[in-house]
Amino acid sequence: MSSELLVQALLNGFGLAMVYVLVALGLTLIFSILEIINFAHGEFYMLGGYVTYYVYALSGLNYFATLVLAILTVGVAGVVAERLIFHDLRGKALNAFIVSLGLLWVMQAGAQLAFGVLDKPVPSAFSGVVRVLGLVMSVERLVVTLSAIVLIVALYLFLRLSRPGRAMRAVAQDPDAAALQGVNIDAVSALGFGVGCALAGGAGGLLAPLFAVSPAMGALPVVKAFIIIIVGGMGSLPGAVLGGLLLGGVEGLGALFMGSAAVNILGFLMVIVVLLVRPRGLVGGA
Amino acid sequence: MERRAAAPVAGVGLIALAAATLPLITRDSYYLDVATTILMNLTLTMSFRLQVSTGQINMAHISFMGIGAYASALLVTRVGLSFWATLWLGALVAALLAVPIGSVALRVSGPYYFLITFAFSEVVRLFFNNFFEGLFGGPSGLVGIPKPGRLLGLVFDGKPALYGLMAVLCLIVVVALVRLDYSRFGLTAGAIRQADLVAETLGVNVFRYKLTAFVLGSFVAGLAGVFFAHFRQVLHSSDFGLEPMVLLVVFTVIGGTGSVWGPVIGTIVMTLASELLRELHHYEILVFGAVLILTMLFAPEGLVALSGAARRRLRRLRGRAPAQAGAGLAP
Repeated sequence: MSSELLVQALLNGFGLAMVYVLVALGLTLIFSILEIINFAHGEFYMLGGYVTYYVYALSGLNYFATLVLAILTVGVAGVVAERLIFHDLRGKALNAFIVSLGLLWVMQAGAQLAFGVLDKPVPSAFSGVVRVLGLVMSVERLVVTLSAIVLIVALYLFLRLSRPGRAMRAVAQDPDAAALQGVNIDAVSALGFGVGCALAGGAGGLLAPLFAVSPAMGALPVVKAFIIIIVGGMGSLPGAVLGGLLLGGVEGLGALFMGSAAVNILGFLMVIVVLLVRPRGLVGGA
Repeated sequence: MERRAAAPVAGVGLIALAAATLPLITRDSYYLDVATTILMNLTLTMSFRLQVSTGQINMAHISFMGIGAYASALLVTRVGLSFWATLWLGALVAALLAVPIGSVALRVSGPYYFLITFAFSEVVRLFFNNFFEGLFGGPSGLVGIPKPGRLLGLVFDGKPALYGLMAVLCLIVVVALVRLDYSRFGLTAGAIRQADLVAETLGVNVFRYKLTAFVLGSFVAGLAGVFFAHFRQVLHSSDFGLEPMVLLVVFTVIGGTGSVWGPVIGTIVMTLASELLRELHHYEILVFGAVLILTMLFAPEGLVALSGAARRRLRRLRGRAPAQAGAGLAP
């Protein structure tokens, strides 16, 4: 097997993995702030996909403007969800599990009723391929991957430099201490949930032209996001990026040897191995 | 103390009475089917709650049902054993596999345990679906599983007979699990759930208790799986996937995990609710989801704790008890 083939397989894996990292970052941000796992996260991803379908594919707005709109719309939906149903569930893992499951069903059934059950195709915004050193990548996938990286960097800067971003990290570290320092926990939780959902919405907008938009489209990315955050360590942002790269690499290479259905088992085996060696994930703290 | 001893006997008696009267009221195969499913789900949710009682949300519980089902189906069709032997052998296989899997998974806790067991369940499901197709039937499923054979002159081919068999199995499981919950084991499990560190410092081998609950629970799940295999006569890997597992969690948590009766209430209420909601067609899932959200927001300790919560609320309205009386954990 030539080394070019291996590098090409890795590249294929990494490209999509960066978008799944976006979904995972939202999930892990919400977990670190509210200490709950949001199983309806994939449905916010789906919402981003539908915004893209209606605004970009049907109304013809610019692709990137649509992306921003998808991020904002889904972010607002996230804030509303937090205010209405999640704000009392901080740290109540089992109850939050059931509630987010209920939300998942409500959103999926709602999407079926509102948008129909059929797949909606979204046309590609870019055509052509790029060739570098014998490697091939479509312009579309390149743009999607780069946009995902831009959003990851933007999130990093937001959490490092901005006041609300730093408040989120403070709440994630110690909610009581943060409250004592004058951080408004309620506002930060709502905003954090909104930002987390907005990231999923952005990912949904990015992948809408690659895969068709449908009410059940959130299931696959959310499973990948779970694998990514367990491998990387729950609540850790660098861990999510590392976990995404690992998953992308393993699945990209695995696709050379086995069918696409069987490749899915690799991610779960990776989860088991990582949790055995490092129970808190690769970058997880104490 | 007397009330503690009377409650389990009364509860088990009530379930036995209800199970015994149903076939006298109706022979309609639809109702018997729903009732059989309720009893099967009951064995699953009660054994799931056994593990929740030590604080672990085991998302691979349904996989042990699957392991029992596939094991029994293969032992009957390939080896030629009788159902009455594989009923216990299949459950035993599930329990034996639960020892290594549980030992590995129980090294982590909290959300990590939740997720590692989910990973295990997906590995098991994908294994049944994509590997050894000649043996497990692959994506098209394992077909041609015979119904249970004769036992003591009884024939098990119709719905009423299979319902009766499931009812007997379920009652054995209910009696065993209720006895366990009211025993020293149940008390220790509760202590581990509420404060595992304290239990550990008081000399409880927390890991061994958790593993025992895991293996026992898996044995019961395997038992339900064997029945499932010979009741449905067809097995698909998706029967033991995320969706049915999630329903188990929903039944258990909606009923309430603080009491051994929670899963009983939850399973019966939710199975009946989903059968009734079927009339709503497209809106079924929408309403079901909304019911989940509202129940958890307004009855966070589950339906079984509702009567206690209502009583406290009534007392508060009359001004007899301080407002924080409702803050404690369910017993």
